[in-house]
Amino acid sequence: MFRYNFKLALHGLRRFPKSTTLAVLTVALGLAASMTTLALLHMLSADPLPGRSDHLYLAWVDTVQAKPFNTEVFKMAGITISSYDRIRMPDAEALLGAHRAMRQTALADMSADVEDGNGAHRQKDQNLLATTSDFVPMFGVALRYGRSWSATEDADRRPVAVIDENLAQQLFGTTHAVDRVVRINNKPFQVIGVSAAYAPQPHFYELASWSFSGSEHESVFVPYGAALDAGMSAYGPDGCDDSVTQKPGAAPDPQHCAWLSYWVQLDTPAQVASYREYLTHYVEQQKSLAGFGKKIAKVELLGVSQWLEKQNVIPDNVRLNVWMAGSFLLLCMVNVAGLLAAKFMRRSGEIGIRRALGATRGSIFTQHVIEASVVCVIGGVLALPLTMLGLKILRLQDDGFTDLAKLDPLMFTGLFVLALAVGVLVGLLPAWRASAVEPGLQVKSA
Amino acid sequence: MQIQPVLSALRRHRLATLLIALEIALACAVLCNACFLIANRVGLMHVDSGVDERSLATISLTGYDDAKSTDLNARVTSGLRAIPGVQSVSVINQVPFGEHAGTAGITLDSAGKQFGGVVDFYVAGPESFKALGLQVVEGRAPSSDEYQPLQQFVPSNANVLVTRTLADHLWPGVDALGKEFWCDKFHFRVVGVVANLAKAEGSEGGPSTIQWSVFTPAQPGPNLSGRYLLRADPSQLWRVLRDARAAIATVAPDAVVDQLQSQTITDLRERHFRQDRVMAGMLIGVIVALLLVTALGIVGLASFWVAQRRRQIGIRRAIGATRGDILHYFQIENFLIVTFGIVLGMVLAYALNLLLMTQYELPRLPLYYLPIGALILWGLGQLAVLGPAMRAAAVPPVVATRSV
Repeated sequence: MFRYNFKLALHGLRRFPKSTTLAVLTVALGLAASMTTLALLHMLSADPLPGRSDHLYLAWVDTVQAKPFNTEVFKMAGITISSYDRIRMPDAEALLGAHRAMRQTALADMSADVEDGNGAHRQKDQNLLATTSDFVPMFGVALRYGRSWSATEDADRRPVAVIDENLAQQLFGTTHAVDRVVRINNKPFQVIGVSAAYAPQPHFYELASWSFSGSEHESVFVPYGAALDAGMSAYGPDGCDDSVTQKPGAAPDPQHCAWLSYWVQLDTPAQVASYREYLTHYVEQQKSLAGFGKKIAKVELLGVSQWLEKQNVIPDNVRLNVWMAGSFLLLCMVNVAGLLAAKFMRRSGEIGIRRALGATRGSIFTQHVIEASVVCVIGGVLALPLTMLGLKILRLQDDGFTDLAKLDPLMFTGLFVLALAVGVLVGLLPAWRASAVEPGLQVKSA
Repeated sequence: MQIQPVLSALRRHRLATLLIALEIALACAVLCNACFLIANRVGLMHVDSGVDERSLATISLTGYDDAKSTDLNARVTSGLRAIPGVQSVSVINQVPFGEHAGTAGITLDSAGKQFGGVVDFYVAGPESFKALGLQVVEGRAPSSDEYQPLQQFVPSNANVLVTRTLADHLWPGVDALGKEFWCDKFHFRVVGVVANLAKAEGSEGGPSTIQWSVFTPAQPGPNLSGRYLLRADPSQLWRVLRDARAAIATVAPDAVVDQLQSQTITDLRERHFRQDRVMAGMLIGVIVALLLVTALGIVGLASFWVAQRRRQIGIRRAIGATRGDILHYFQIENFLIVTFGIVLGMVLAYALNLLLMTQYELPRLPLYYLPIGALILWGLGQLAVLGPAMRAAAVPPVVATRSV
């Protein structure tokens, strides 16, 4: 029965090729617009580190010895002060030393010129992650050659570095760069490992520097103690103790400013709860804070997705575009429904005869829903190249995040499911109308 | 031409009529909101920075030793002044469309109770006021002895100039000259009002606050260093900037030029609004596609109706209707359906606007967008129906005598 209905549907499509083409093109346009914007949103909201991000938490303790911002004042003006939940180095060291989590690391982005040992090849303004030994295993940086540094090397502030393949190639002409020397900010560092390019999207572990980037990523990983010794510094801190004056744009005081993001790996909810307790306890011990109106311990322990949500990393424009494209798809659906309704009503006579010969309403209904679905699926096929084109246009926009606009297999399947769903939805009303045709009336007039 | 027969004919095609009307309604809602969004973006993009953008460029330095900043200022300003074509060099903390450096909340009393707003402090050294080309509308420009040394990011007690918008916001209906305000313990007195001076990073806190800036004269020093304002003839500016970047390597080898921030103000502006331009472009794309789809939908349906009614048209023609009557019949029919759609669409447009307002910082849709949207859709409908209607008018009366 289904096959018979299917055959009839195909036959119906060929009856008025112009209106069929119009319907198919309309569906293709609507689907392509929705798909393009959805693909971008999907890429931007994807898990940055699948399999790992569920166990990573950003820990924050408010121990900066300064009077808190009068946030009310800023709220009234509709301004949210951007804070990236970073902590001061003494706190990071205390927390690192306590080893209360499975793994823990403190990190900050810096930038420096990097050259090979004799200064022959120079790469300017390389992004560099100043961190600790746990970062590489904890965040899944894939090492190609050599090793990452140890906790002992962290403690000794040993000038060692893990660089990525591209940088190794640029500096040394080979990726086998282990045991070579690089000069970072004019200070020698020993290369102990070469990693694959590491660029999770978004750059969730250090949103202070950037969130989405097609090209930007850290190409050097070094112990943060060694980075400070080499005269490098983090960018603008979240806040500083009142005892130091922090000029906007100047290098933050490493002891007194909050410039390190502190990440921990916690595998079970029990660990999360006990770590949160530990953090609260840690802040409560800081007697010196009482003088700054911080009587209640302020602590945060956020998972990756919570953190991304809090920082609102997906640009508003992207969501707005999805809304716009969604409205457009709705419009296209109504349009196609109208075209199909007209088309179906033209064959009232034919439907009347089928009904008179014994076809049930259900069978007429199915035939027409199938017809609508076929229109939409063909539209979906056509939408694919259009979506590719749309994404290509998006990628040309040089917007920081639009480089990521790609169609992955999941979205590809999504496109067809969407096409089919649209088809069924679009077909319901005209098909119902067609199935309501009274047999007698039509046979008489025809 | 009577409307009655058109209406009763439409009543027999309720589904198709409803669908076209719904389509028009959706088109109306999206069209009004998309146009409104575009107008908003374009409005933002055309904000008057208040400075002579075409003559200005900035050099931004990082990575130098803070202790040497006074020396750095001296070396850089004299080094840059030596470049041929440079009209003026001054030290400034921020420039319009660059990185912001002096954003802070102000209060209208020393106790900090009466909140004024969040403003941008342009802290700048001698020569900068003239170089920026700010237009004084009330009071006076800062005098040379008002450029004081800084202990913090602003002077502790300064005579400043505010923008017209900010003055009207802080002291509505009152003369702003001589008025005072505070930022924490810092005290300011207004000696002049300038026409415009846009915040460095634009409209944080809503588009109405974009001009909330304070020009604060100050002496370069450890708290004011690293960013320099260059003024040159627009035709030479690009060369001057290139030479200036090169000159830094010799006069200040200890500092790093921040390439992204060391640009002409025109380029900074261009980059600042890039996202808005992309967004406006996309919305225009949506509008074009939408109008096209709607028009084609109308053409498609109208053609079907014409084909379906060939016999009736023939009969009408045979009993005396002119070609014009038939043509008008379809035009009126379209007008009625579109009108019905527009009425529904206006409600939808407002609903969509309310929805967008909850999600994004958007003002309410002004009423005048609705009649404009209506006019466009009426025009579009008439244009789309013209082809099928003319085909209908061309149906010969003899059709009436033939059986289908």
